[in-house]
Amino acid sequence: MSVDIARRARLTGLYLTLITLAVIFSGPLGWLILTSLKAPDELSVFPIQLFPETPQWHNYLDALTFIDFLGYARNSLILATISSVLTTVSSAWMAYGFARLSAPGKKFWFGLLISTMMMPSIITLIPTYLMFAKLGFVDTYIPWILWGLCGAAFMVFLFRQFFAGIPKELEEAAILDGCGHVRIFWKIFMPQSGPILAACMVLTFTASWGDFVAPSLLLSDDTTTLAVRMTAGYVNEQGFPIQNLLAAGSTMFILPVLLMFLFFQRFFVQGFSTSGLK
Amino acid sequence: MTATLAASRETPPAVPARPRRRRGRAGQRTRTFYLFVGPWIAGFVLLTLFPLGYAFWMSLTNTDGLSPNWSYVGFDNYVRVFQDQQTIASLGRTGVFMLATVPTGVAAGLVMAVLLNRDFRGRALFRALFYLPAVVPGVAAALTFKIIFDKNAGAANAVVGAAGGEPISWLADPYTRFVLILMILWGVGGSMIISLAALQDVPRELLEAAKVDGASPAYAFFKITLPILSPIIFFQVVTGVIGSLQVFVPSLLLAPVNGPAAVTAVPEGNYLFMVHVYAEYFAKSHFGYASALLWVLFLFVLLITGIVFKIGSRAVFYGGVDPTERKEG
Repeated sequence: MSVDIARRARLTGLYLTLITLAVIFSGPLGWLILTSLKAPDELSVFPIQLFPETPQWHNYLDALTFIDFLGYARNSLILATISSVLTTVSSAWMAYGFARLSAPGKKFWFGLLISTMMMPSIITLIPTYLMFAKLGFVDTYIPWILWGLCGAAFMVFLFRQFFAGIPKELEEAAILDGCGHVRIFWKIFMPQSGPILAACMVLTFTASWGDFVAPSLLLSDDTTTLAVRMTAGYVNEQGFPIQNLLAAGSTMFILPVLLMFLFFQRFFVQGFSTSGLK
Repeated sequence: MTATLAASRETPPAVPARPRRRRGRAGQRTRTFYLFVGPWIAGFVLLTLFPLGYAFWMSLTNTDGLSPNWSYVGFDNYVRVFQDQQTIASLGRTGVFMLATVPTGVAAGLVMAVLLNRDFRGRALFRALFYLPAVVPGVAAALTFKIIFDKNAGAANAVVGAAGGEPISWLADPYTRFVLILMILWGVGGSMIISLAALQDVPRELLEAAKVDGASPAYAFFKITLPILSPIIFFQVVTGVIGSLQVFVPSLLLAPVNGPAAVTAVPEGNYLFMVHVYAEYFAKSHFGYASALLWVLFLFVLLITGIVFKIGSRAVFYGGVDPTERKEG
């Protein structure tokens, strides 16, 4: 009996802790949504109110038109799609080489790959931007195509770990049948890589959707992404942010990422656990 | 090559032809390897090595990126790095920021992972709620925190007001550094997910055996779980340290001015090392000096990576990965 009470007390304690944490972690997004529903005059009263008198749903429509929200969202979508599709396919392609083929120098290149994973991208980004500017790539999507074609070290590593776990029987049979490695990659490895392909796509898509530095350096006011435009677009004539529209815009900007995350959640977790590293 | 029984039974017919064609086949194999890995190597050379070299070349000059009148200054820019008060101050702030975010972040992530690492109703929901902020794009997180800590309409001052206080300018010195730290810690769910995945690797039999032997849960945690998790904790600390060296976008976005001019308006408390580099490049056009700063950061990260690799050979890096694969890597 006393064991039972102790267990129940422990469970209650656990839930209380978790609920407190849940409130803390969802608080910021909650406040964002509350702010997005407030009327302009509710943003300048003191003491500050928690809830809007009547929810101003039209703030969301206003946020769509105050800046060319959908236009910038389209730019972001194009860029994120280019980036995620190219990065995913090219990273898988390279990983096949590291997982299944051998050649002199393989150890060296793989070591290099691992060490670039730790390298902050910002170190190369600024000189790369200056280089691209000299080549006339500014205000085009060419940089993202190049980055995509060259893969991402972390994704190569992720795919390599996954490919290493695929049994060799099938490909050995395919080799005996005269099948080349390129076909083995497309016909045997890619079809088996569903979860990891999805994880990689989602991770690179969301990273590109949210990226600020590269588009702010490489693109102009018209061609830039939503992430960049969001930060400077919702201001009044005096240059002060219009809080409720900014909050509504931010909510709509986050939404696709959250939906993707909720939908693909198990791939995120799987991606991390199969990498064995991160 | 570990051929399976089935496959080895089928291979003999191919053997007689082998000795003659060996060189050709090995050459073929090498070509195939580079066909697959080649794009990465090309990318590494063109998009990593070359920009680094370009930055190094700039760091030896006084170029501003535009004017044709530049000259070689040797290592003067590197000497300046250690004399520039702003650089030293920004490095100090970055160090404090690192100490405030990395150990707390890793520890909080671990505690949350341990809380969630058992079966109870609602586990998936809590996991999702804690992880959610980590997937919110950094730009949106910064805007959210800017709204929460807004002087006139923010939640923080709503609390202050309810307690009878006067509104505080959270986004100005000396408070803004705490806003930045809180914003980073909000994303601690990323660390939690990594620790949670690592906790799955702790053998249950070991913990059960300890329980049977009368070990307390705390004792089992510190003597069994923590040592098994040490590689992943070490890894998180290393990536956390490297990650905090490159923080500058949140500083820019929390600044009172929006757009390209933001970098000149970053309050002192959020003027971290990378903000300084960015300002030297794009606000002051000191391309030479800024490139030297970038190279100092690069060498520092290289040093950390080197140390990690030294320790990594003692099974830090590949913890959790099938040990039979280790020799290939």
